[in-house]
Amino acid sequence: MTSSETVSGPAPSPPPAPGSDVLLSVRGLQVHFPIKRGLVFDRTVGHVRAVDGVDLDVRRGQTYGLVGESGCGKSTFGRGLLRLEEPTGGSVIFDGQDIRSLKPEALRLMRRRMQMVFQDPLASLDPRQSVQSLLSEPLTVHGLSTADAEEFGRDSSSSHLAKAAAMLEVVGLPRGALAKYPHEFSGGQRQRIGIARAMILNPDLVIADEPVSALDVSVQAQVINLLEHLQDLLGLTYIVIAHDLAVVRHISDVIGVMYLGRLVEEAPSDDLYAQPLHPYTIALMSAIPIPDPEIEDHRERILLRGDLPSPANPPSGCRFHTRCPYRQQTRCDTEEPVLRDLGAVAPGRRVACHYAEEILAGQIAISDPSLQIDPVAG
Amino acid sequence: MSETVTLEPGGRRGRRATREPVDRHQALLEVKNLNVTFQRRGGRATRAVDGVSFSVKPGEVVGIVGESGSGKSVTSLAVMGLLPSRGVQVSGEALYRGRNLLTMGNQELSSLRGRDLAMVFQDPMSSLNPVIPVGLQVTEVLRRHEDLTRQQARDEAEDLLRRCGIPDPRRRLGEYPHQLSGGMRQRALIAIALACKPALLICDEPTTALDVTIQAQVLELLKELVSELGTAMVMITHDLGVVAGLCDFVNVMYAGRVVESADRRELFAHPRHRYTHGLLNSIPRLDSPRGEALRPIPGTPRDTIAWSKACAFAPRCQFADDDCVVDDLELAPLGAAGHRVRCVHPAPEEDK
Ligand SMILES: Nc1ncnc2c1ncn2[C@@H]1O[C@H](COP(=O)(O)OP(=O)(O)OP(=O)(O)O)[C@@H](O)[C@H]1O
Ligand SMILES: Nc1ncnc2c1ncn2[C@@H]1O[C@H](COP(=O)(O)OP(=O)(O)OP(=O)(O)O)[C@@H](O)[C@H]1O
Ligand code: SF4
Ligand code: SF4
Ligand SMILES: [Mg+2]
Ligand SMILES: [Mg+2]
Repeated sequence: MTSSETVSGPAPSPPPAPGSDVLLSVRGLQVHFPIKRGLVFDRTVGHVRAVDGVDLDVRRGQTYGLVGESGCGKSTFGRGLLRLEEPTGGSVIFDGQDIRSLKPEALRLMRRRMQMVFQDPLASLDPRQSVQSLLSEPLTVHGLSTADAEEFGRDSSSSHLAKAAAMLEVVGLPRGALAKYPHEFSGGQRQRIGIARAMILNPDLVIADEPVSALDVSVQAQVINLLEHLQDLLGLTYIVIAHDLAVVRHISDVIGVMYLGRLVEEAPSDDLYAQPLHPYTIALMSAIPIPDPEIEDHRERILLRGDLPSPANPPSGCRFHTRCPYRQQTRCDTEEPVLRDLGAVAPGRRVACHYAEEILAGQIAISDPSLQIDPVAG
Repeated sequence: MSETVTLEPGGRRGRRATREPVDRHQALLEVKNLNVTFQRRGGRATRAVDGVSFSVKPGEVVGIVGESGSGKSVTSLAVMGLLPSRGVQVSGEALYRGRNLLTMGNQELSSLRGRDLAMVFQDPMSSLNPVIPVGLQVTEVLRRHEDLTRQQARDEAEDLLRRCGIPDPRRRLGEYPHQLSGGMRQRALIAIALACKPALLICDEPTTALDVTIQAQVLELLKELVSELGTAMVMITHDLGVVAGLCDFVNVMYAGRVVESADRRELFAHPRHRYTHGLLNSIPRLDSPRGEALRPIPGTPRDTIAWSKACAFAPRCQFADDDCVVDDLELAPLGAAGHRVRCVHPAPEEDK
């Protein structure tokens, strides 16, 4: 085990008490993967610090969006919450219970309340399983919820079938789909089935990892609307992981931006686009193409140099300093910034940059002018 | 088009490739009525590309945008003569400086491909040679085109890799494709395509696999190429945002046909075809107000009718009626100059 570097600054606020409007509270979450070498004996020669100290709260009924570039640890974070990947440090408090301390049986029971939707959920499943068996499998494992048992009767194959059919209708597929097999559906329909499977146990929290990125552009909106509809209908709380910021911004109330295993910025959805504060977010926002030539021609673009560094060996100090266009001579290379509240400057937001206030006030400019591309007039 | 940008202060600007002089006003590539039909033995024939026409001038970027299976890649492969020789029928013309690429002999075509025409593919691994270091793959192309010493070629390759956003290019020169990340491979491929300073560059989803921050670097580089060297570029993508920022002229494809084509400003300001219009309305935009439900297009691109019977988009179109059930709808001029639409009930002009 590697331990996270000690960072200066205030300690993160303690997790909220049970019954509060915070459903999920994550503190200092770490998921490190050992890097093994050697022919005879596996020797651990280092760790991939995929998730390396993340603190965040998700409120009931809200959608928390998580964005960041490929390899920054978004999926590992989502899997770590459910212990599909064992965290190596930190805590996950779900509705007042510490997930990391649960015994296998208690964890199994807890999982019915936390479900996951994948990019292409059926790609990894047995193609010989019919939709009916895909949907009733979770019911066989966990049983119907109390409310569903009242509606459909005690657990039995007929009550499970009734619930499966009802669920299909909710996601907009005909009952006839029950007898079909995954390959008989389009990508969008398969995602509906994946969503039905995740929601059939009436979970409280759904973690959707790239739920629309495998879909055709014209089909994405259908699935986004479906997710929103189900949230209203079932009172769900979502964590939506995606690299498409426009999609994330559309469905999320709060967005967290990840960089190399850490959260670098968190803000209400609208604020993040209106005024990104962390240099990485500023560059990210400026890089996203907008389908409107008038806007594209008049945008300032901030280029980043290089790639995401290896999470096995993150840069010293601020992890973003190797690519940061605002990097300063002091602190950036040596001192890791904590994710901190900016207070009155930007209420409700957290940023992990030593110089966020100065950058916001325009007191620090981009050091290398070739990284800044100014809008072209006309 | 956007202004010239130089990603690196030390970048070599203003070097012109030695080639026949180009007339910037004359089309460099003219594709006329291109048809591609796949016929598997015993299977039904599928027409992947159905009467596609477009042209590209030097220094111009022409976009081909459409969803999965609409025929974008097949169009570009046909133009480059890279479709399999069996089970495929290609007809029409693809005139490069007036010579038809579709009927050209293999030898002539491959010499043209290495010199004047280049392509960046969707899948980088399939087009890099896995057993040759990346650097050598770049210097080979450079030395084939210019009289360079080995050292000069190395320096130039390093410069090119750096400008394509590859960090630490000197070290990368000696690495094999499998040692690079997916995004890095894609950029190496772009570097190889740019090495011969092609007169015509066809890019098939060159940035789809890349993170947006890297995509921004690559798109700037491509813009620079077009404005500095006057390269003619065909940009294939499903990303309307990329089109909006890069292309001068846009062709929207659906089920093998161009359904709408226009100057990019005209297209985004006044989308007229019901598919284009619906698509622009359905995608979430970073800059649009939140809180409204999206307005999706029903169905999937697979729900289609043969163009010979009706409008292929009819099964998904809320404006479809009997008038749309006609064979071979025409791509007809509508509104502003150069705007063409294949639709019986186009969206009104003011309706965005
Ligand atoms: N089981 C594993 N063993 C070792 N390393 C892993 C494992 N799973 C993930 N990683 C590494 O952890 C880092 C984070 O991976 P993760 O899949 O969480 O990223 P991501 O943000 O979801 O990326 P993407 O957008 O590509 O899905 C990467 O460097 C990845 O290679
Ligand atoms: N070698 C082939 N043999 C048979 N059919 C093919 C072949 N290549 C492509 N097709 C078919 O031609 C049609 C157009 O395919 P194409 O690859 O051009 O789509 P595309 O627009 O590039 O899609 P994508 O966005 O997924 O890359 C598809 O229906 C495809 O199945
Ligand atoms: S702390 Fe320094 S390097 Fe890090 S984001 Fe802020 S300015 Fe950039
Ligand atoms: S021709 Fe008819 S079906 Fe096709 S897009 Fe236009 S209105 Fe819709
Ligand atoms: Mg992931
Ligand atoms: Mg393609």
